[in-house]
Amino acid sequence: MQVSVETTSALERQMTITVPAERIENDVNKRVQHTARTTRLDGFRPGKVPLKVVKQRYGASIRQDVIGEVIQQSFYEAVQQEKILPAGGPQIDFKNDKDGEDFQFTATFEVYPEIALADYSAVTIEKQSSEVKDEDLEKMIDTLRKQQADWSEVESDAKDGDRLKLDFEGFIDGEAFEGGKAEAMDLVLGSNSMIPGFEDGLVGAKAGDEVEVNASFPEEYHAENLKGKAAVFKVKVLTVSTPHLPELNEELFAKFGLEATDLETFKVEVRSNMEREMKNALKMKLKDQVFTQLVDINAIEVPSSLVDSEIENLRKQAVQRFGGGADIDPSMLPKEMFEEQAKRRVTVGLLVQEVIKANEIKADDERVRSTVEEMASTYQDPKEVIDWYYSNDEMLNQVKGLVLEDQAVDSLLASANVTEVAVAYEDAIKPAQQ
Amino acid sequence: MNQERLYKVLLGPHISEKATIIADDAQQVVFRVAKDATKPEIKQAVEQLFNVKVSDVNVLNAKGKTKRTARGLGKRSDVRKAYVCLAAGSEIDFLGGE
Repeated sequence: MQVSVETTSALERQMTITVPAERIENDVNKRVQHTARTTRLDGFRPGKVPLKVVKQRYGASIRQDVIGEVIQQSFYEAVQQEKILPAGGPQIDFKNDKDGEDFQFTATFEVYPEIALADYSAVTIEKQSSEVKDEDLEKMIDTLRKQQADWSEVESDAKDGDRLKLDFEGFIDGEAFEGGKAEAMDLVLGSNSMIPGFEDGLVGAKAGDEVEVNASFPEEYHAENLKGKAAVFKVKVLTVSTPHLPELNEELFAKFGLEATDLETFKVEVRSNMEREMKNALKMKLKDQVFTQLVDINAIEVPSSLVDSEIENLRKQAVQRFGGGADIDPSMLPKEMFEEQAKRRVTVGLLVQEVIKANEIKADDERVRSTVEEMASTYQDPKEVIDWYYSNDEMLNQVKGLVLEDQAVDSLLASANVTEVAVAYEDAIKPAQQ
Repeated sequence: MNQERLYKVLLGPHISEKATIIADDAQQVVFRVAKDATKPEIKQAVEQLFNVKVSDVNVLNAKGKTKRTARGLGKRSDVRKAYVCLAAGSEIDFLGGE
């Protein structure tokens, strides 16, 4: 077997592999003999079909099969021999495919980039930390109560926090525009779900009132034709309702799935939930920051085959997120939608792998254990979940992957300049700006 | 003898163990031929259609088997076969084209 490798572009390699004719001939003959023993053909007793006849009849397809196998084998051998690590499958082209002559084919594929990790010590990372203060807790409990609020219609003027049912139609320069009309819509004042100015204009309205509200669309509005335009809305208020916050009692606690019996334990439970959420959010943000910096200082070229398969994954995930999308074909979504994200993911993946390799990081058993325990703690029966993870190699490997990633982040953090910043709880749980 | 008749004489090759053996040993090929085909007709047809030289033709009639069924006796059709001996240097390859 002869192999020659050509570098066609930075990551693309073209391998020309020549396989001697005998190797193929031998295999073909062996198979022909095998088929001759088993084949049935009219005019011949079973197993008595002459080789010549079998070859004439099945030769071509047998040769095809053999060549397919030879390609796989010899490609594998060639890759080992040349010590190349292909990323993704090769594209095979036949060059010489004639009976009795040496078989030649080219395999075009991409390789993983060689990564020389840039010095991470020059990087500054802002590590956010926060704590749940009493006010935050109060606020959270307030929001929870508002979610469960009862509404009752009132005759008085609408004020902040009230819910209005209204019909409205919007006009720009005296003309109605598309999507500017709604009927019997529920709107909570102060929820900021409408464009700025709209809700303010309704404060003080009564049920049955007809009001004109002046509001302008923000500069970065999603509809191109409405950006920055001033609009007049003719609003008819149908009803005004005020919220009644529910009592903080067991009934309410049960609605949130908490087994608290009094306010104190409820507070403790809510606080621990908040703390967990905050911890996760901060961790995600930190990780994101570390990776972003990592990508920024290491400009590498990524194999497009990996990016393509990542795009495929993202597409499937997107379809799942749309929900009920059994009839959405993932390939219908435009590729460009995911390209950048996929590229980033692949880059991060490659770089993190390199970091793990460079620092010889191995998954720490204890950390794996504690991660599993943490994940299990949100389930009803943690013990069972833990046992399940440990009995399932695939799941355990996933966890190990997570832990490895965390450890890589740790080791990167250890080498970078870390500045601690304290932020408020609300900022802490906000997702990082991309 | 007209050309049209020649195309109707040969019905197809007869492929069997015996046929493959004599093809190698005696340069003979076996055809199923029309019931009323004569040796000279067969010779001419083979020579023209396969572009070979024929030295001898033997023919035989194989009677169809009688088959008994619930509805009474049935008879399979008879077959006339021709063993065509090719002159030295000629060859017919039925299978190659398939």
